[in-house]
Amino acid sequence: MDPPSAECELVPSTVAEDSRHSYFMKQALLMGEKALQSGETPVGCVLVHNDRIVGSGMNDTNRSMNGTRHAEFLAIAELLQTYPRSTLQSTDLYVTVEPCVMCASALKQYRIRSVYYGCANDRFGGTGGVLSLHSDVSLDPPYPVYGGLYQKEAIMLLRRFYIQENEKAPNPRPKKNRELNTRFEDEEVLPPIS
Amino acid sequence: MQLKQAIEALRPLQGEVIPIRTVQETRPPEEFADAYAAEVNVKAASKVVKALDSAFPRDPALSLGHLRRFSKRENLPAPLKAAIEEDRSFSKTPAQTIFVLISPPVPDLDQVQAVLAPFAPASSPSARNTPSDASSPELTTPKINLIPTKVPIQPPFNITQAENWSNNLWPVVFNAAAPRATIAPPPQVLNRAQEHISTQAGYYLSLARKVAEEAEQSGHGRGVGAVIVDPAIETHIDAISWGADWNPRDRWMEAVVAVGGDARYGRGEAGAPSQKDLHPGLVPNPASTTYDADLEGGPDLHALMRATELVARRRREDAVHEAAMESLTPPAIVATDPQLSTQLSPLESYFLYDADTPSAHPPPEPSSPKKRKHEEPNPEIRATQVEISDDTDPQSISSAPLPAPPPSTTALADPIIAARTNAPEWPSDPFSDSTIPPSSRIRTRAQGGYLCTDLDVYMSHEPCLCCSMGILLSRFRAVIFPRSGRMKSGGLASEPVGPTTDEESAHNESVVATDTEDERLYYGLHWRKELNWRALGFEFVEEADGVDGHEGVAFHA
Repeated sequence: MDPPSAECELVPSTVAEDSRHSYFMKQALLMGEKALQSGETPVGCVLVHNDRIVGSGMNDTNRSMNGTRHAEFLAIAELLQTYPRSTLQSTDLYVTVEPCVMCASALKQYRIRSVYYGCANDRFGGTGGVLSLHSDVSLDPPYPVYGGLYQKEAIMLLRRFYIQENEKAPNPRPKKNRELNTRFEDEEVLPPIS
Repeated sequence: MQLKQAIEALRPLQGEVIPIRTVQETRPPEEFADAYAAEVNVKAASKVVKALDSAFPRDPALSLGHLRRFSKRENLPAPLKAAIEEDRSFSKTPAQTIFVLISPPVPDLDQVQAVLAPFAPASSPSARNTPSDASSPELTTPKINLIPTKVPIQPPFNITQAENWSNNLWPVVFNAAAPRATIAPPPQVLNRAQEHISTQAGYYLSLARKVAEEAEQSGHGRGVGAVIVDPAIETHIDAISWGADWNPRDRWMEAVVAVGGDARYGRGEAGAPSQKDLHPGLVPNPASTTYDADLEGGPDLHALMRATELVARRRREDAVHEAAMESLTPPAIVATDPQLSTQLSPLESYFLYDADTPSAHPPPEPSSPKKRKHEEPNPEIRATQVEISDDTDPQSISSAPLPAPPPSTTALADPIIAARTNAPEWPSDPFSDSTIPPSSRIRTRAQGGYLCTDLDVYMSHEPCLCCSMGILLSRFRAVIFPRSGRMKSGGLASEPVGPTTDEESAHNESVVATDTEDERLYYGLHWRKELNWRALGFEFVEEADGVDGHEGVAFHA
C-alpha cells in the first residue's frame, strides 16, 4: 500500500483510537459485504455529514449493466434525495477501496470535504494509486485523502470476490483451483478492481 | 418536418479524424538506472555474455533489449570516452578490447569482477602475469576496469531520443515497432479504426451537436451531446448495400444505438425544484452563464454518463437479465433514477425506442422512403413529433411533453420490491413491465451485449475526466470529439494544439505538461498503460477550423 503522500497517511495506532473513523469505515465494509453477496465487486462506502450517515453505496455494475455505477455514485444519489448538493462540501466519504479515476474526479466536481479509504487501488486509483486527481489543478478545489483504514479487511473482501468466477464476463476464466489467500506481506499486491 | 427527416437532413461536419496520441507518445517516459561498462577482451565477447547471463539471470520484468550488449571504445558515448582517457588503467590497445554492459539491476561489483576475470584484456596493465605484479598475491586475479553510467530502462520512442541516449549514456537500438506495444495502440488496430471511423464521423458528430443543441435549448443542461454507435451495424449496413442501388452513407443513422444529452439542470435535489424548473422557458439555462459548482448537477448527468445509462437501461430490460438478477440479493439502493434515464428528450427517445435494426427492413427506396414502424405505441415517442431543424423555435422543444419527472425524493420503503419490479414508480416508462421490442439495436446480454463493449462514442465536446474514465470503465472501443470542442477540464487531449508536432519537437517539449496559453493538464486518459482498460481516442479536426477549443465559461463536459 502506497499512501498518496506523507501528510495523507493515517497512523494505524491513531486510527485504532479513533472510534469515529472506525465506526464509519466498518459501515462501509458492511456495504462492501453486501456487494459481495450481490455478486458485485465488493466495494462499499458511506457519506458522513455531522456524524451521521447520509448516503451509502456499493458497487452496482453487474446488476445495472452500467460500468459506471460505482459505490460512490450510488451514495451521492442517495444523499441528493434528502440534501442539496452543497451539503457535500461538509461531508466526508468513507470507502473501502481508494476511489477510481472516475470517482476521484466526480468527488472533486461534487466538492467532497475529505476522503478516507481502506486499501489502495494500483490499477485505477485516482487519489494517488495511478493519478492524483484530488490534488491536481482543476476547476474545483483539491480535497484531502487519508488511506489505510481497515486496509486488510477491504483487501480480504476483494480476494473473496476474485477467487470466484465471473459468469457475467464474455469469457469466464475457470478458477477452480484457487485458494483464498489470507496472508499479508509487507508489500501488498492488490487484485485488479473494476 | 419530422424528427426522422431532421436527422436525415443533418449535414456532416467536414474534416479529418486524427488519433489522439498517448501521453507516453507526447511525453516519452525517461527513466534511468545505474549500470556499468566493463572492459573485456574482444576475443572473449561471446563467452562474456554466457558468463554474465548465467551468473546474473536477467530480471524478466525489465525489458532491456534496446540496450546494446557491447560497445567498441570508439562508439562509446563521449562522456564515457572522456572518463576513460583520464584513467590510465584502461587498455592501451583499444582495438583488442570491447566494453560489455553490466545492466541493471547492477550485481555486487566484486562478483562482477570474479565472473569477468577470465576475460580480462590481454594487454591490460593489471592483467595476469604482468612481471611487476607477480609478487603481489591479490593481483593473481586481474582487475576488470568498470566505468559507471546510467541507462534508460524503457526503449527509446523515437530516433531523437535514441541518438541522445547513445551519445550520452550507452548505445541503444531504436526499433520503431517495439515501443508502441506498451505505450500506444498497435498501429494496425489504430489505423483500421481510424479508416473505419473516418467515413461517417462527420455525421455522428453533427448529430452529437444536434443532441447538444437540444439539451441546451430545452433548459435541461449545457450544450453537450453524446452519440453511441455500434460499428458492427455500420459494417452490416455496408455489407447489405453491396449490389444495392443506395449509398450506405445515407443510412448512417441506423448504426446509432443511443444518444444522450447533458441534463445537469434537470435534477431536483432534496425535493427542491431543479434549475430547469426554476427558469421555465429560459434558454439557455441562466445557470450556464457561470460555473457555480452547486448548480452543476453532477457528472452522472453529463451527456456521456446519460447515454451510457440509456444503453444499460435497455440491456436491463432484457428478460433474461431480469431473471438472472432476481436470484441475487438485490442492492440496497435502486429507488433512484440519478441519471434521469426515464426523462428522455425527443432525440434520446427516438434513438432508444423509435428505431430498429437495419436488417429488419429492406433498404429504403430512393424515391419513396419507407417509414419505420414500431410495434407498440410509446408515450415517449409522441414527444418526438416535434420539429427539430435549424430554425426550430427553442420554446417548442422546451415545451415538448417530456414525461413527468420521477419523484426523486421518494425512496421506496422496500428495496427488494424495487429491485424485483424494476422500479415501478416510473409510470412514464413504457417498457417497465412489458417486453422490449424485438428490433432493438442494442444487443441484449444474451446476444453478447456487455456494458458498452465494442461500441464507439461520438461527443460534441471533450469529456471531463470523470466521463473519460467512465468511457474506459464502460469498455467503449473508441471515443471521438471535435477539436473545436476541446475543454480545459477535459480528460482526453494529451498535448496542446500547436504547429505540426513532429517527433523531434515533441521530444524537445517532453517536459511541457501544461499549455501556457490556457492552463490545463493533458491526461490522455483514453490510453494510459497504467490503467487496466483502454480505448482508442480520436479528434475530429474540421476544415477551416479556426477555434482550437471551447470558448466561454469553463465547465465539465
